[in-house]
Parts: sequence; C-alpha cells; structure tokens
Amino acid sequence: MAEPLTVALPKGRLLEDALSFLARAGYAAPANGNGGRKLILDGADGRLRFVMVKPADVPVFVEYGAADVGIAGLDVVREAERDVYEPLLLPFGYCRLVVAGRADRPDLPLRLERSPRVATKFPRLTEAFFRKRGVAAELIVMSGSVELAPLVGLADLIVDLVQTGATLRENGLVELRTILESQAMLIANRASYRLRAGQVRELIDGLAEVTRETSNVKT
Amino acid sequence: MSDRNSSADRPLPEGVRDLLFADAAAFRAMTAALQATWSAWGYREIILPTFEYADTLATDVGATVDAEMYRFFDRHGRTLALRPDMTIPTARVVGTRLYDQPLPLRLAYVGSVFRYEPPRAGRQHEFTQAGVELIGAGGALADAESVALAVAALQAVGLPEFRITVGHVGFFRGLLAALNLTERAAGRLRVAVDRKAEAELSQLLAEVPGLPPLARNAVLTLLRLTGDARVLDEAEAICLNTPMMQALSDLRGLAELLAAYGVDDRISYDLAEVRDLDYYTGITFEGFAPGLGFNLISGGRYDELIGHFGPPLAAVGWALTLDRVLVARELQGIVHEEPRADVLLSARGCTACLRWAAQARGLGLKVELDPLGLDPDALWQAAQARGIRRAVYPAGEAHAPTARPAGDDLQHVLIVRDAAGEHALAADGWEEVAAWLNR
Repeated sequence: MAEPLTVALPKGRLLEDALSFLARAGYAAPANGNGGRKLILDGADGRLRFVMVKPADVPVFVEYGAADVGIAGLDVVREAERDVYEPLLLPFGYCRLVVAGRADRPDLPLRLERSPRVATKFPRLTEAFFRKRGVAAELIVMSGSVELAPLVGLADLIVDLVQTGATLRENGLVELRTILESQAMLIANRASYRLRAGQVRELIDGLAEVTRETSNVKT
Repeated sequence: MSDRNSSADRPLPEGVRDLLFADAAAFRAMTAALQATWSAWGYREIILPTFEYADTLATDVGATVDAEMYRFFDRHGRTLALRPDMTIPTARVVGTRLYDQPLPLRLAYVGSVFRYEPPRAGRQHEFTQAGVELIGAGGALADAESVALAVAALQAVGLPEFRITVGHVGFFRGLLAALNLTERAAGRLRVAVDRKAEAELSQLLAEVPGLPPLARNAVLTLLRLTGDARVLDEAEAICLNTPMMQALSDLRGLAELLAAYGVDDRISYDLAEVRDLDYYTGITFEGFAPGLGFNLISGGRYDELIGHFGPPLAAVGWALTLDRVLVARELQGIVHEEPRADVLLSARGCTACLRWAAQARGLGLKVELDPLGLDPDALWQAAQARGIRRAVYPAGEAHAPTARPAGDDLQHVLIVRDAAGEHALAADGWEEVAAWLNR
C-alpha cells in the first residue's frame, strides 16, 4: 500500500467539520481519536496521516511539503500568501473578515479617516484593504481578543473574523465593511500534487463529490 | 578589549549564508559533475558578470522578478542591479556578441543570483544557479535535448528520486483565445488555473454568459490533464483550435523523443501549467523531489527573449538551484562527507619530511602538516580529533628527538601510527603509501 498522504488539519473551530467531511469522503478518522495531545495521528485505514497544527500554520506546512495537503480557512490562506494550490472550496467554516468599529463612532466613511489605528490578526489583508483605498492605517497586530482594542482606546477600528456577529454586538461594535467572505479550503503542495498525483487526485475527487452532495441537499 | 569582536556585533545581512566544509565540498562536487555532464552534451561554459545595468537585467522578466532585484547606483548615478537570473545575461551575450556564430549555440553557466524573495527550501536571497541554454534551434529535437539533459543533470548531481513535469504555454494560450473572454475574466481564469482552483473555475465559468458547452468542458477538464503521457491523449478531446492542437502535437513529439532517450519514467505532463505564461513561448518544465515541496529546476522554450538584444533566435534551456539540490539530497538520505586529509605529518626537526610530503601529495595523498611541533602522542590525538586516519612522524622522534644525527634524508625511517598501532615505513616506501589511497 502507498505511503499515506499527510494532511495538515487546523486545531480548533474547523477541525470537527474537516474530519467528518473527510469521513464522508471515505477517509477514516484518526484511529486514536482527536481529543488527545498527539500532534501526528494515523488514519484508521492507513490512507491518511494527520498533523494537527494552529490554523494559521496550515499553509506553511503545505507550502514546504511537510504536509501534502491541508484544510484551512480561505482567510488564513489569503493572509499567509503561501505558494500552494487551492483545488477545492469546502462547504463549512463560513465566516466573514470584516472591518468593525464602535457603534458610537462618528459617521465617517473609511476613506476619509486620517490614519486610523486598526487592531487585527490579519495584518496583510488589513494593510492591503486600507492601502487600496488610499488610507494609511496604523496596524496593531494582535494574537487574540481583537474586539477589546477599540473598547479600551487601543485602536479606532478592528479587522476580524465574524460568524454571526454576536460577539461584536455584545461588545458594542458594528460591522462597517466586509473584506473577505471565507470558508474552508483544501490546499495542496505543488510538488506533492505531481509526485503523488494519484492519491491527491483521489482525495480531491472524493471531497468534491461530498461537496456536490452537500450543496444538492441545500438547494 | 571591549566586546567589539564578539560575534553578536558581526551579524550577516539578511539573505546570505556561508557554506562550510562538507557543504562546500558537496557544492563543488555537484558543480564538477554538472560541468562534466553538459560538456559531454557539447555545451560550453561562459562566465557572466555579477552586476549589469538594471535596465538590461529587467528585460522581459515580469513584475515579480523586477520587484525582487537588488538595485544600486554606480558613481555616475546609473542604476545597476545584481543579476536575478543567468538567462537574461546569457541572452544579452548572445544577442550582442555571438549572434553571427555558427548555430546552434550550446551555452552553460554556474554562479550566484540575487533576489529579494523570502528564503525558501535552502534558497536565500543569494543562491546558486547552474543551467544550460540551447540557442538557435526550435523544434522537438531541441526541446527533448533540453529536458533529457535536465534529467541527466539531476542524476549527475546524485539525486536518486525526482520527477520533471512538462507543460506547454501554447495549450492554455490557445484555450484563452478560443474562450474570447474579457481581459479581466481571462486574468481571473489564469489565476484560478495557476492555483488549480477547481471550484473557483466552475464559478467563474458560470459568470461568463453564452459560453459554448465545448469551451466550458475544456476549461473544467484542463485541471485534470496532469499525469503520465496518457494525459496527452485525453487532451485531444478538448482541443478547440489550431494553437491547442499544435501545442499538443509538440508535446507528443517530445514524449516520443524522451522515450527514445530512455528518460520517460522521470517525466510527467501538466497541461494546466500557466506559470511564466508571458515569458515562455513553447514547452515549460519543472523538476521536483520528494519532501522538498519546491521546484529544483525550471526551464522551457523562450523564443522571444534574445530578440530584445539582437537578431531573434529560438532558445530553450533550464536552470537548477544547487542550494535546493543540496537539501533534496539530504532528504533522500545522502550524507555529505567532510573532506579529510589522509595523513597528519609531523616535520619536527625533519626537513626531509617536507620532501616526503611533496612526493606523497604528488601521488594524490592529502597530507596535512602539523605546524605546532606536537609530540607523537599529541599528534595522534590531533589526527583523531580531526578525523585523519594516520599520523606520520620521523623515527627516533618518539624517544630521543634531540639525538637525531644531522643531515638526515629520505633514507630515513618514518613511523606511521593508525588505529592498528605503530609501524615503521621506509621514507621511499611508496608502495604502501599508494595502497593508502585505495582504502
């Protein structure tokens, strides 16, 4: 039997959906479950090996070929700007990357801001968004609790992911603009796509099939 | 002394690195193997300048490489740049100096190139490229020679496993022409194909009104056209116009010749390869090795470049990144051995030993001289510490170094110490010395 494909999976919010999606495509979940602390897990059927990494690190594992393929949010993939293939969008992990500010913020278009301080975990996308509008934003790069920044006067605006918007509302923030509509994505290493073409193709086709079934159910 | 000399105060600038002993030796050995290979194929080496006018080097390189060039000023304020690749300087040499030489020209080069690109897989801002260009010949035979030589080169540098993927820009260009999209839609299509984004592609097609089903099907099938030579048969079904047919027939011809070269087991095809679409004019190829994740070698046909510098000439070639081959070899379990001397020789009070050293070196032995005046035990320890298998010192040294008669010569007896112990060696006993070389 061929050596298993290595799949980088994001720990956290996307993990459960990713594993169940793979299972529906006929790929067995890790034999020893995913609750433990092990970072490398073998699929029960020996077709896949899973490496569990921080979501933002999935693209780099795949770019370097440490994983042949990976599942990550489109937001993370665009922010990382790594040289990877993006064969499939997967129908879960929907969210939006938005610009938000305090609800009591003066009613001023973003393009007229002088030099807003913007807190975010997505510096590249944030920078690109404001630069495109001719606004010199001052980026404050954070690694968590971005919503807090405008409340304590650390930043004027934030750029962050929202699913329902409940967290923003609870903290007295409002969405001003959507930067990116995100969902989960299958990415692949350029060399693996060729050197292990058969296995990668089988995985893409399997997941594409489940994706089609899912969208048919919806409509 | 202040701590001015501490290492923390002498950082390296971003993007450069030192190669120490074992790596340096492996680098030189690979270079020598490449030189032997390309000269066996009739390629002649040229040595190119490290910097030139930025305008020259920016010719036809595309926005990415242009943005990655190291630029600086000369004393007259003209903008110079470090070469970001070797193909442009080669094209300049051909276009300005070699254009009336008998064709085809077969040129080869090796040297550093410089790019502000993030370090990836053994490649810093400065990295080493070796490559070949076959100039003044179009057609399948020239294409096949370039690809087959790429295979030979990767074998010569000692890489057990690798694969070269071949594409053809004419196939995608033909498809674009057949689709007749707006410029914006064509750009998006190209990005989607470059990222192999199948879902995005279907979505894109849904937004284009009035696209014939045949064309739609061709785009959707395109991304599946990657694999062994059988994909060339599958590609037949989606050809929409003559350019696509032509590209396919070029690749068929190439595949046949590569089979004749006996390298077809190293080759796969990818008709959806659209990298450097504006630069290349025919076949393109990239080489990959397991575990590396990045390409080691890339090349293709670029018939329009040399015309920027002189009379237009057809050209095909490739460049490989030695730094990445080094990493790929290690990933495949190849150990890079540190070069060691064969003998550590003490010449304490023995001028004849120097003559012995000269003669031994003439036989091909690596002889390192101890300049510290170590006694025999310390000499043997020093040899072991440095991985040298033999210590050699004048007889009599061990017991009564001062009692040596004056005027000793090569009749003198040397003592050899190795893992097995000590034994005497006549200073003119070259038979044994020669045998050391074939251990």
